[in-house]
Amino acid sequence: MSAWLQQALERSQANQDWLTPSRNRALAALQSTPWPSRRTEGWKYTSLSALEQLSAEAPAEQPLSEIPAIEGLDCLELVFLNGQLQSDLSTLQLPAGVRIDSMASLPPEQQVLATTQFANIKPERHLFGLVNDVLAQDIVFIQLDDGCHLPQPIRIVHQSTEGQQSHQRVLVRLGHKAKASLIEQFLGNQSSVTTAFTELDLAEDAELDHYRLALQSGQALHFGGCHFCLHHRAQLNSTLIGYGSALSRTDIDIIHNGEHAHAKLNAIYLLAESEHFDLHSTIEHAKPNGTTEENVRGIVGDKANAVFNGRIHIHRDAQKTLAELNNRNLLLSRRGQINTKPELEIYADDVQCAHGATVAEIEEQALYYLRSRGISRSQALIMLNFGFIQELVNQMPNQQLAAWLQPQLRARFKEMEVQ
Amino acid sequence: MLTIDNLHARVGQQSILKGLNLQIKPGEVHAIMGPNGAGKSTLSYLLSGRDGYEVEGGSVQFMDDDLLEMEVEDRARHGLFLAFQYPVEIPGVSNMEFMKESVNAIREQRGEEPLSAAEFLKKAKEACKQVQLPLDFLKRGVNEGFSGGEKKRNEIMQMILLEPKLCILDESDSGLDIDALQVVASGVNSQRNSERSFLVITHYQRLLDYIKPDFVHILANGKIVKSGDASLALKVEKEGYAFLGIEATEEASS
Repeated sequence: MSAWLQQALERSQANQDWLTPSRNRALAALQSTPWPSRRTEGWKYTSLSALEQLSAEAPAEQPLSEIPAIEGLDCLELVFLNGQLQSDLSTLQLPAGVRIDSMASLPPEQQVLATTQFANIKPERHLFGLVNDVLAQDIVFIQLDDGCHLPQPIRIVHQSTEGQQSHQRVLVRLGHKAKASLIEQFLGNQSSVTTAFTELDLAEDAELDHYRLALQSGQALHFGGCHFCLHHRAQLNSTLIGYGSALSRTDIDIIHNGEHAHAKLNAIYLLAESEHFDLHSTIEHAKPNGTTEENVRGIVGDKANAVFNGRIHIHRDAQKTLAELNNRNLLLSRRGQINTKPELEIYADDVQCAHGATVAEIEEQALYYLRSRGISRSQALIMLNFGFIQELVNQMPNQQLAAWLQPQLRARFKEMEVQ
Repeated sequence: MLTIDNLHARVGQQSILKGLNLQIKPGEVHAIMGPNGAGKSTLSYLLSGRDGYEVEGGSVQFMDDDLLEMEVEDRARHGLFLAFQYPVEIPGVSNMEFMKESVNAIREQRGEEPLSAAEFLKKAKEACKQVQLPLDFLKRGVNEGFSGGEKKRNEIMQMILLEPKLCILDESDSGLDIDALQVVASGVNSQRNSERSFLVITHYQRLLDYIKPDFVHILANGKIVKSGDASLALKVEKEGYAFLGIEATEEASS
């Protein structure tokens, strides 16, 4: 076990009884798992040394006065500062059909019920998921009743501040035919550690629009994950936007656990300076007739480092699966690095599956077209490459959110090209 | 404006242009007709600077410059414009952003100040109306999901905004119904003046009813085999190319 984790465990508060069983399980798993090195599968290109170099001293926590709103978007807000729910900044009045609970405040039998219900979504192989199991002090539980169509998005904002560690766990359950939109937003550029795992269970015919805005940058160390379980005919449309930081790692798992489920995952990363961003995605097709469409696109500037590992696993019974995975990258500097690896494991014989990964390959036709209008080659490349990021932003079902993001992404992209 | 002298060019191993001569003076409208595979599209791509065309001999003078020595973008900045037969779709880059970038690149070459967003928007809206495209086409991705006719009108809108010196229209009439054809033609005619020249490449005489050419050339087997005035196009329309001793080939020009 790492010195950092040892120290974090010592600093962590007294156990809550209802969390003890899962915490003990995770602790045992962590103790039997070697701490990753560059030789560990899944951590080949991502070093954890920044974690060990953290100062143990934490400055006093600053209170949070406000969180920037998303213009034009009325959300149910849940605001966390360094892992603690800020009830004064959160929406406490909820529409019918939705419940949001801090599990610490629920009666014991409900706590136990909820933890057993969700124990299976996050796979044990996620090291920082286990770390989160061990260190999280509470769980936020969001439940939508059967048939509930939530008109506003739920927005969960996680803000971290200098020297702090936060460990958040969110469970989301959408009932039969429920429909919702969830925005998870991570903020904070100062030296801090965040582990943030969300487990989402979509019952039959449920529909979820999901946005994970991993916008922590600078010195923030971010370890996050989203784990989706899709039941019969469930529909997921998820967008991940990642900025790099001193160390940022996100694991996304989608399990097709019922037939005819559909998953769309679009991911974008924009990295500047010497930032690091690592995305591992795993799509499990365990049942027949599922579809997955995954588009991952990134732009890497300066000395930044991007890692993408995209795995699609089609189980033997998952006939008639349609799965596509595509990763495109642009490297803006010779000092930057991109390590990309699509992985297909197919055990069914009647499936359609495609994957591809490219680095800085621009469609010559489009380049020629722009140049034929007087635009320089270098400017045309920038436009086309930002264009392919924008293409995914344009696909976001929530266009108000897209309109709010667009200028920020553009500003970040401009910074990258200046270097 | 443009002087093409004994131009030979090939694509891969195949010679396409075999000694083409053409001279265009300011303000003139030239039409090129010819059977499939004659080299019409090759000529337009080669003039605009597309990769993959190898010049084997001859020269092309564009105003004071050796055109063949210039980069694609420099040709455009010096006033050469090609309205594409098959405009490319570029999702993610908005039409507006694309045209603003383009207009300002050309203005910079001319030593003019870049247009502000508001100034550009005003001009773009006018041009958009002129080619009868709804204004939301400015916000959409470049040619993304446009119909064939909308793409052609989008090309003409760019031409209007860029104010080129020499406009090459590569089968701008193909795939258009009569209404769209009239829109395209009136867009082109509105840009005609004593300085600006046009090279109109077409299969059909029909377009030339709307865009009246000063000269018509027949391109066959890689060279101009006959030149004349607008009546030549009518004769071709009526009699085919046979009177020129040309066998129509099966090969498609692309």
